Amino acid sequence: MWEQLGLFLVFLKASALAIGGLASLPLLRADLVPQYVTDAGIVQALAVGRLAPGPNGLYIVSLGYIVAGWTGALYALIGASVAPLVMLPATALARRWLLSAWFGGLVRGVSLATAGLLLATGVTIVQGSGTAPWQLALVVVTIAVTAHGKLHPAAMIVVGAAVGLVVGR
Amino acid sequence: MPIVTPSPSSRDLARAWFDIGTQSVGGGTSTLFLIRRVLVERKRWITHREFSEAWALSQLSPGIHLVALAGLLGRQMAGARGVIVSVAGMMVPATIITAIATAFLGEIAQHPLTIAALAGIGPVAGGMTIGLALTLARPVLQRGGLAILDVAVIAAAFGILLAGLAQTIVVIFVAGVLGALLLGRERPTSSDAPMS
Repeated sequence: MWEQLGLFLVFLKASALAIGGLASLPLLRADLVPQYVTDAGIVQALAVGRLAPGPNGLYIVSLGYIVAGWTGALYALIGASVAPLVMLPATALARRWLLSAWFGGLVRGVSLATAGLLLATGVTIVQGSGTAPWQLALVVVTIAVTAHGKLHPAAMIVVGAAVGLVVGR
Repeated sequence: MPIVTPSPSSRDLARAWFDIGTQSVGGGTSTLFLIRRVLVERKRWITHREFSEAWALSQLSPGIHLVALAGLLGRQMAGARGVIVSVAGMMVPATIITAIATAFLGEIAQHPLTIAALAGIGPVAGGMTIGLALTLARPVLQRGGLAILDVAVIAAAFGILLAGLAQTIVVIFVAGVLGALLLGRERPTSSDAPMS
């Protein structure tokens, strides 16, 4: 019972303290690896989140499912749906605050820290999934494609799987 | 005077968000365009101006920005009922499909072919995460001298997490406080990043 509540709070907290869908990843990884899931599981969740319909922040649902089946998916869904809705009372009651300089600075600080945390998380995932030359080449290409923003996000997952099937056996 | 459209029925609203939630893969800008096309251009439940304002506010939200956008637009269209129908319409079908896809992948995860494919997907997932971090940092790096403080925050967060010096949550809180005190010189820029 307490463990279930704790698990739900992990998902709620990760959604509530991250600005942006994938920004919750470092928080979730800190709470779930290695006790509940491995880095390989995180890779699977990220892949499914990219390929399945809906916001790619829904990787959190995939991660929830890997951690605790349908119950975990439900926790993740509730956490991901409730946290952003804090904007409803916020925009009604405190619109002026939201547009103030200090709140802008807060969002900016959190976004910058998130960039650093995501960078570190990405490096950890790369280290965990293998550093053969062809894998490192995939990392470089994916970084370029993601930062460039032209190719559809799901396409690189398919490319990675295809390269893995050809080279990684 | 703007033309006042009657608020949509729950059924129409649910169907519109169901379409948005299930037809958009990978989120981000493509989903945003889809939402605007359906709600603003096709159904005319939302004006261009309302959409732009809701989008700007949603970029400040915690968690998935598209959820905040669905909530804000839902409230505009049909009050509390609109919020619930819009968010559930976008999230629940997509969640079910995502969970089933995860279960399927779990079933075949030990097959040699899947293992080989995942050996290629791992670097891509890592690369995407790094690329996303760079996208977040990019608007900062174009700003010359003042960017030093920003880069310091990114580097500190990176180093602290890799070295295991402090908990992730502590890093985020400290960065938020520092940001409110030191970085409040302009509007937030998280809207530049396609994170949703």
